Amino acid sequence: MKLKKIVSALAIASLSSIAVSAQAHEHGPVYADFPVTVKDYKGDAKHSVSYGGQMARHALHNSLKKLAGKGNGEANPELKAQMMAYFEGKEAGRAIIDPKTKGEFAVAQTEVDQLSKKKNLAGKAYKGAVTSWPGNMTAAEVLAFMIDKASAADKGYDPLNGLDYAQLISKFAMGAVFYNQAVDNYLDEKLEANIKPNGMAYKPGKPYTGKEHVWDEAFGYFGTPAHTMELSAKQVYAIAKQKGDAFDIADANNDGKVSLYTEMTYAHAYYAAGADKGGKTDYLHTITKAFIDGRQLLADAKGENLTDAQRAELKGYADVIKTNWEKVIAEAVFKYAGSTYKDLQKINTILEANGDLGDNFRKYSKHWGELKGFAMALQMGGKDLGETGVKLNRLVGYSPVLLGNTQVSGIDANGNYVQSASIDMEEYMLHMLKVQQLMVDQYGVKARSNDVLAGMGDLVEKLGAKAATSAEND
Amino acid sequence: MEAIVLDYLDQLSDTFTEPRKRVFWGYLLLALGIGTIWLRWKLGQGWRRVIATTLSPGIWWSASARADYLLVLINKLLMILIAPALLTQTVLATWLFGFFFSQFGMPPSAGSLLPDWGVAAAFTLTLFLLDDFARYLVHRVMHEVPALWAFHKVHHSARSLTPLTVMRTHPVEGVLFTLRSALVQGVTIGSFLYLFGSQVDLVTVLGVNIAVFAFNVAGSNLRHSHVQLWYPKAVEHLLISPAQHQIHHSTTPRHFDKNFGAVLAIWDWLGGSLHLSEPGADIRFGIRERVEEGEHSLKRLYLTPFGESFGILKGSIAQLLPDRSL
Repeated sequence: MKLKKIVSALAIASLSSIAVSAQAHEHGPVYADFPVTVKDYKGDAKHSVSYGGQMARHALHNSLKKLAGKGNGEANPELKAQMMAYFEGKEAGRAIIDPKTKGEFAVAQTEVDQLSKKKNLAGKAYKGAVTSWPGNMTAAEVLAFMIDKASAADKGYDPLNGLDYAQLISKFAMGAVFYNQAVDNYLDEKLEANIKPNGMAYKPGKPYTGKEHVWDEAFGYFGTPAHTMELSAKQVYAIAKQKGDAFDIADANNDGKVSLYTEMTYAHAYYAAGADKGGKTDYLHTITKAFIDGRQLLADAKGENLTDAQRAELKGYADVIKTNWEKVIAEAVFKYAGSTYKDLQKINTILEANGDLGDNFRKYSKHWGELKGFAMALQMGGKDLGETGVKLNRLVGYSPVLLGNTQVSGIDANGNYVQSASIDMEEYMLHMLKVQQLMVDQYGVKARSNDVLAGMGDLVEKLGAKAATSAEND
Repeated sequence: MEAIVLDYLDQLSDTFTEPRKRVFWGYLLLALGIGTIWLRWKLGQGWRRVIATTLSPGIWWSASARADYLLVLINKLLMILIAPALLTQTVLATWLFGFFFSQFGMPPSAGSLLPDWGVAAAFTLTLFLLDDFARYLVHRVMHEVPALWAFHKVHHSARSLTPLTVMRTHPVEGVLFTLRSALVQGVTIGSFLYLFGSQVDLVTVLGVNIAVFAFNVAGSNLRHSHVQLWYPKAVEHLLISPAQHQIHHSTTPRHFDKNFGAVLAIWDWLGGSLHLSEPGADIRFGIRERVEEGEHSLKRLYLTPFGESFGILKGSIAQLLPDRSL
């Protein structure tokens, strides 16, 4: 027992930094009110935090997702134009379709321009070729292609190809715009010394330095409330769901309305919270804490250019953010590969009994859309995933395996899908299992929702994972 | 480095504080209690003799026992370094699940074959039987293959037996035992997960596999002790008694290569290696009667087996090759 105490003492001593960050969950710092450090600033701004443009894009994305499910199954140029207005337009007067006031959960802004003017999603989407979708298109082209299809589909759903566009558009856009902009742009080349230096304003007259704003923009794309460190993962999750009892939690400044700028949960922050609420991971707070620490470092630099040591430290925080953000997406891939597996199991069982599929095929398509969207998003971090990307794309394919054992294999010259004979649904289940395994092997995912091999970890734990490695004789 | 040190200290203390371990303090106390009752009231020995058999420094601080302790300390560290390179039950179970899937198609839907309690009971029993049989088999092979016996001899070189002698093991054996556990657990978990999905569970007591718990509570530690506790003859055909395992450690040639089993005696019974206890017999422990110089030196315990084993392997390979004198 004494040894246990020594071990604990050693652990506490060496890991005190982690202990401090764990405490921070209770009364943690807020991502707000960092001082103005720009040397020759003449304006009257009291603080230097600014990420309105990112929040406008979150509102555009949320609204676009809502619109993607509005089609009536006929070609609908009007709907398409409306969707494109949220995707690539910059016009004034666009209403926020989501998030909107919902019961007791009152939101402060009703128009995108209240967050930031002249913002769109298309201009910020990944510029390279998207290899996870047929047609050799850029990310903006893929999204525009999907928008076109969604506008003509019944409630955004194409039953012939098993494609759920609200899911595909939303999950892919989060990767192609938010994730890509944050990790491949702001937390990447924009941290270099000669780009957006900390020794001068981001733009003349602005109350923030180059690096301060770069950092804020990356934070904005993550999509978490500024007071996240004061909240649990469960609470941050509930805010995105706009549950009545989440209102008080969200309304940090008690002004009676939830600000879509600083008090709302969006995009990957929502999925981080979703993974964390199971208690096995802490992505949300790890990422938020790294953002706050990095921002504090910049405030402490007091408007001077960063030293090499400071920049190295800042890049350290950026690495924490990037690694964990990637894991959040990998967890989502894992989770939806699991739901797709379960849907397939259900469908196969019904088919064997010659039963009625009911809405099971629709559910399968929805979960597949989420899986595919996240799998595509995972490849938007600006680095080539190599073999992992190839495996992932081949295992998932361009559509779910359909009832006649076919799958979408490409797009013809007219933009129509081409289907080819493929594997059967049972074999496709095995693909889902392999996708989960790939996420475990490559990203070390821990939350593991919908684990096909559920219980294996617990069993190994119960048997005493370490017990097996003892040199016990007989 | 720091992580390894912490892991080392943690695992070392776990050895005595974790009920999954053979030498958990609770099991040691129970064994002492059972041993004392046996000697004092079943055999009617005086207290002085009872204490001499159970707690005497002549046993616990003998050169042999001191070597045991050193091996425990060194092996723990070696195994922490080696373990990450070994096949794990998780990898094996995952592979097997995928293999069954590709061979036999989709797993049966959950709950269709057995009720939850039935699955848990079947899983726990299968694991116990398979594990116990694998222990018997590997143990037998360690004795019968000369190149492996060179390593297993380290365990048998103990002259006095204490519960910690269970960990007097050469690291090469440690690797084999780890792989054995991984194989048994991987196969069982993989197959059961395929057949029963999330229904699979382990029946436990205080968080420990019920079979392991029962074995240890029943005084498993007495097998490595000088308390000659035997069972009725009929029972010794089913379960290995401490006295039977002590026969396994005996220097008397007629006791050689008997009683390889861990818990169940049926494997030995079926395999023709069962030897019932000999109540009252004077049994000495070790490889041979004659005590040699440096029997418990670290060099002898760690390095000599490699030389011996290598020599044996070289000899057998030479026999297979054509005669070089031609």
